[in-house]
Amino acid sequence: MTLTDWNDPIAPSPRGPRGSAGTLADDATGLGEIDRGAARVSVSDKAMINARADVNQLLPLKYKWAWDKYLSGCNNHWMPTEVSMQADIALWKSRDGLTEDERRAVKRNLGFFAASESLVANNIVLAIYRHLTNPECRQYLLRQAFEEAVHTHTFQYIVESLGLDEGELFNMYREVPSITDKAAWALKYTQHLDDPDFQTGTEEADRAFLRDLVAFYVVFEGMWFYTGFAQILSLGRRNKMIGIAEQYQYILRDESIHLNFGIDVINQIKAENPDLWTKAFQEEVRGMLADAAELEAAYGRDTMPRGFLGLNAGHCEEYMRFIANRRCGQLGLAPVFGPSENPFPWMSEAMDLRKEKNFFETRVTEYQTGGALSWD
Amino acid sequence: MSLQSHYEPGEVGAQNGAAVHHAAPDSEPLVQVIRRNGSVTAFDPAKIAVAMTKAFLAVEGSSAAASRRVHEIVAGLTEDIVASLMRRAESGRVFHIEDIQDQVELALMRAGHQKVVRAYVLYREAQAAKRAAETEADAAPELHMRTAAGEVTPLNLSRLSVVIGEACDGLDGVDSQRVVEETRRNLYDGISEDDLSLAPILAARTLIEAEPNYSRVAARLLIDRLRAEVLSALSGRPDRATGAEMPGRYADAFSDAIRYGIEAERVSPELGRFDLVRLGAALKPERDLAFDYLGLQTLVDRYFLHHEGARFELPQIFFMRVAMGLALNEIDREAKAIEFYDLLSSFRFMCSTPTLFNAGTLHPQLSSCFLTSVPDDLDGIFKSIKDNALLAKFSGGLGNSWSRVRGLGAHIKGTNGESQGVVPFLKVANDTAIAVNQGGKRKGAVCGYLETWHIDIEEFLDLRKNTGDDRRRTHDMNTANWVPDLFMERVEANAEWTLFSPDETADLHELYGPAFRTAYEAYEAKAARGEMRVHRTVRALDLWRRMLSMLFETGHPWITFKDPCNIRSPQGHVGVVHSSNLCTEITLNTSDREVAVCNLGSVNLAAHVSADGLDTARLAETVATAMRMLDNVIDINFYTIPEARASNLRHRPVGLGLMGFADALATLRIPYASDAAVAFADESMEAISWHAISASVDLAAERGRYTSFEGSLWSQGVLPIDSIERLSDARGGLECDRGQRLDWNALRERVVTVGMRNSNTMAIAPTATISNICGVSQSIEPTFQNLYVKSNMSGDFTVVNAALVHDLKDRGLWDEVMAADLKYYDGAVGDIDRVPDDLKALYATAFEIDPSWLVEAAARRQKWIDQAQSLNLYLAAPSGKALDALYRLAWSRGLKTTYYLRARAATSVEKSTLKGTDGRLNAVIASPAAATCSIDDQTCEACQ
Repeated sequence: MTLTDWNDPIAPSPRGPRGSAGTLADDATGLGEIDRGAARVSVSDKAMINARADVNQLLPLKYKWAWDKYLSGCNNHWMPTEVSMQADIALWKSRDGLTEDERRAVKRNLGFFAASESLVANNIVLAIYRHLTNPECRQYLLRQAFEEAVHTHTFQYIVESLGLDEGELFNMYREVPSITDKAAWALKYTQHLDDPDFQTGTEEADRAFLRDLVAFYVVFEGMWFYTGFAQILSLGRRNKMIGIAEQYQYILRDESIHLNFGIDVINQIKAENPDLWTKAFQEEVRGMLADAAELEAAYGRDTMPRGFLGLNAGHCEEYMRFIANRRCGQLGLAPVFGPSENPFPWMSEAMDLRKEKNFFETRVTEYQTGGALSWD
Repeated sequence: MSLQSHYEPGEVGAQNGAAVHHAAPDSEPLVQVIRRNGSVTAFDPAKIAVAMTKAFLAVEGSSAAASRRVHEIVAGLTEDIVASLMRRAESGRVFHIEDIQDQVELALMRAGHQKVVRAYVLYREAQAAKRAAETEADAAPELHMRTAAGEVTPLNLSRLSVVIGEACDGLDGVDSQRVVEETRRNLYDGISEDDLSLAPILAARTLIEAEPNYSRVAARLLIDRLRAEVLSALSGRPDRATGAEMPGRYADAFSDAIRYGIEAERVSPELGRFDLVRLGAALKPERDLAFDYLGLQTLVDRYFLHHEGARFELPQIFFMRVAMGLALNEIDREAKAIEFYDLLSSFRFMCSTPTLFNAGTLHPQLSSCFLTSVPDDLDGIFKSIKDNALLAKFSGGLGNSWSRVRGLGAHIKGTNGESQGVVPFLKVANDTAIAVNQGGKRKGAVCGYLETWHIDIEEFLDLRKNTGDDRRRTHDMNTANWVPDLFMERVEANAEWTLFSPDETADLHELYGPAFRTAYEAYEAKAARGEMRVHRTVRALDLWRRMLSMLFETGHPWITFKDPCNIRSPQGHVGVVHSSNLCTEITLNTSDREVAVCNLGSVNLAAHVSADGLDTARLAETVATAMRMLDNVIDINFYTIPEARASNLRHRPVGLGLMGFADALATLRIPYASDAAVAFADESMEAISWHAISASVDLAAERGRYTSFEGSLWSQGVLPIDSIERLSDARGGLECDRGQRLDWNALRERVVTVGMRNSNTMAIAPTATISNICGVSQSIEPTFQNLYVKSNMSGDFTVVNAALVHDLKDRGLWDEVMAADLKYYDGAVGDIDRVPDDLKALYATAFEIDPSWLVEAAARRQKWIDQAQSLNLYLAAPSGKALDALYRLAWSRGLKTTYYLRARAATSVEKSTLKGTDGRLNAVIASPAAATCSIDDQTCEACQ
């Protein structure tokens, strides 16, 4: 792979944001020659993709929602080492604390996440960042990239704490077919963007970029992670592997913002470039979500051949349909599946409702950073 | 109900080949509908009209059919619905049948036809349940069960239904069929016997948020499981009993359990010498049904004694064992044990957790709290850390004053080196607390206190941050500021404040009031002359803001006030209060010779009020018995270190507190944020105080005064209500109500002449766990949320405010929509339009109440208390300014201590169990639609 020459003229001819008459900035990455004496950035020049405005200038803000998500991410800061693994270690090492099926599900779950967090991080920094030409969104991407690192750190911490076979776990995405299938499906969308000649600016390229956003934000983080959360939280509600369950609750809190940032980005791009969002393309995206749900169902069957109390592959498949329909709704698409309800009513307790923690017994997740308190 | 075929899958709004009149011009493709079976058919608005007409008929009766009014309404609504659907149709021109039904629901709601909506919603639910059951029945594969012995047998589902049916019997609003269905969905082939009995409990739990009585169902299912475990353990063979059989077997099970426990060396042999037949006959088996799920699961997980992995106590056996453990030294042991049992098992009063854990066992360490003061030499520091370990081993919580330990840069004579300060030692204390985990029942818990002039105070503030050098962090230890009045005065005056190392200012930690000011100002003068080795000057306001910022960010260190704790202490004649304890409600003297001990218990205030007010006669009875139980603890207690025994036998302090305050307010129909609530806090605490002090006088008459009584404030006739003047004098005035209702003169006279049995009598503990056992609101806390999850060592528990649900049911407002709204708004009713204003006020949650109300109510209670209270404060939208005002208010009202500051999480997660997407985390709208949400705005699709 050769290094991209950032100063190459952009070809083929770029399309500006709808309704704008100006030309596209020479430098969508922010690494080009400094344009001495250029006009100052105006909010109206800022755009999600193919922006004319200098991407190195955060202010004036155009997308306050992106900045707000950045702030939320910062306020949610946590580290895996804050969570005690003592109870998990005791349970994992006990002879019959977990059934064989439960152990299998936990290991595959960890294996899936351990590699996935890295794939997601790579996609942000190597594919998305380059083409999202808005500094406030990029600010969030940098925060998100760090959060992905924290999540990867979490899996390292879990593997070390439980004394798991790191080779087995971190290689699952290459060795367990149901996990490989998912990773491979998502990776092909990144690979497209990773081509050194790839540039947004044509309808086809812009759609490729949208596909990548859908694959990673909507499918990877917004659908696949959710089966994983369900597996671990269902053990957690029976007071099993509670340290991991607590870490997953933190991850879930982060991922909720990741997913919704992605949805906002896609919807904003749609609004700015309505010509991209054709009927055919909508059908294609719906197809992606349907395929992703099928891959997930296969993964569910593989990780839970018999199931355990409160969770089995059938439920997970139903859950994935429910989630896929939700994601369709968020993107303004017709649902891909028939009406589905969340088959896990207990998720209300595990995820939806706010928690009041007994301070002596569990760590309180709700503290935020205090730097920004106003005293006047 | 006469809603029928037109509501059926695939029928509403769908008709093959029908033209679409309203919205689709000929050039457009047909709008289609996906039926439930997946087939696609053309959309027909006429079907919607037919369906809605039927819904109106169901509510208004058939005479409505001919009504022109209904026809007009239906026609109008149909048009709205079709228009609304068409706006959404851009993205695919396909609706799901459920989408259409959602639109119908919304349109009916917008138009104000609430009853019709309810009929419609209920019908949809019923249909969905029917479909689910049909699918289930068709698809249900044959399941097998694996017994503990490893045998595989076909699963007997009918027995499961019987058990669930019994658990639902007699409870309002519960449907055993729903529990059965949810249970069956969760089974798997090869399920273990244990998982099989767990499955219905898990199923019932998921229904609690819609109907609080399912919590009782879950508790009954749990007790069925427990009966089998306990009876099998006691008889040594598989044995079980139904709820109906148990009353006949309880007395035998009780005496078996005591004997079994003695043999297993878990129960004190002394208990075997009680008249077990008399006690067994006094048990009240029906009280097993009084538990909520949370309360019973908590007891099962951690309180019931077990041997070789099997529990051998049932709830009534457990309460009697504790009662016997506290009656060991009584003359008529059985009579007193029954009196104590009755109080506990009726939830009128509950002992603290260590008492419940350990009473009647071979290691009766029954005290909750220990306070120590750490000396300024290595021997002393490590002895204190060892003491912490020994005290924590049997469930004690610890408060350590570290203010005497020299700070960073102070001189060390022995090595001629410089000290690393107090932080590295705090880290050792932190790690010790982790190592000693109370036998797995509770995590070791310790709180370090530091006085505000200590040179290491700024590092101390950072101890709980999750950034920075981990060697200088104490993630598992609690921390608290011990704040002198002089510092608060400097803050108010925006003046300077000087930090010192205690090796050069040893007397500061021993002084308070005017004497502290004199000494402190002398040290400042000395520092100004250059005669102090270690000192630093900061702006008091900067330090104060930093204290508040850290409190907001990490929840620590808490803020407690040294001067009111000491000035109002009855025991100032024999020592100094150097810190509070783990929960900031204990204010007792410590020294190198004395480790303070406090035994706690809490009156359940909710069990002593009715709509007519406080039942003072019942309260007097409860408090008298409770004080006797607490006093008994002192003599029975197993002391792990001699310094604790020395101080406890000499001063005999106890801490009677309360719980269920918010529930009592709800019974009285008083909102927490009101003058009436503040007045009730005053009145109820005055009554508890009067009877507690009176009970201690009675005990003094019977058993003698405590040893250090002479010279105490009590002996001078200065009761808590009188000591307020001392604080006021020291501060030059105090804004605090002084009103009284009861006959304090007569009591004061008896205190002086007869004496007191206990140096201290009252302290309001957080009751985090025992309030769960009793199923009431925690301590003096406002309602956290009306729907939320309590997380503790036993796991997560959905808690829904049953009183609110009851009130909503009375007004016909509790339905699926309301339950979903309550979830959407995180358990707060303030934003739900359908909730009437009076209920909004009554059920305002902690974050909806201005926290100054909590401070005002606490200030009234503090009038009457000789120790302090664990006062949590809540700020929904914290700003520095609000924090500053709140904590200055707490100080100026004369509060002794404050506890946690609770704020809300930065963001929450996407709600997974609501219909549709909650959309809260999305800022960009998927398709053009109105940005604000109003149920009346027909163009708004935010909640679709």
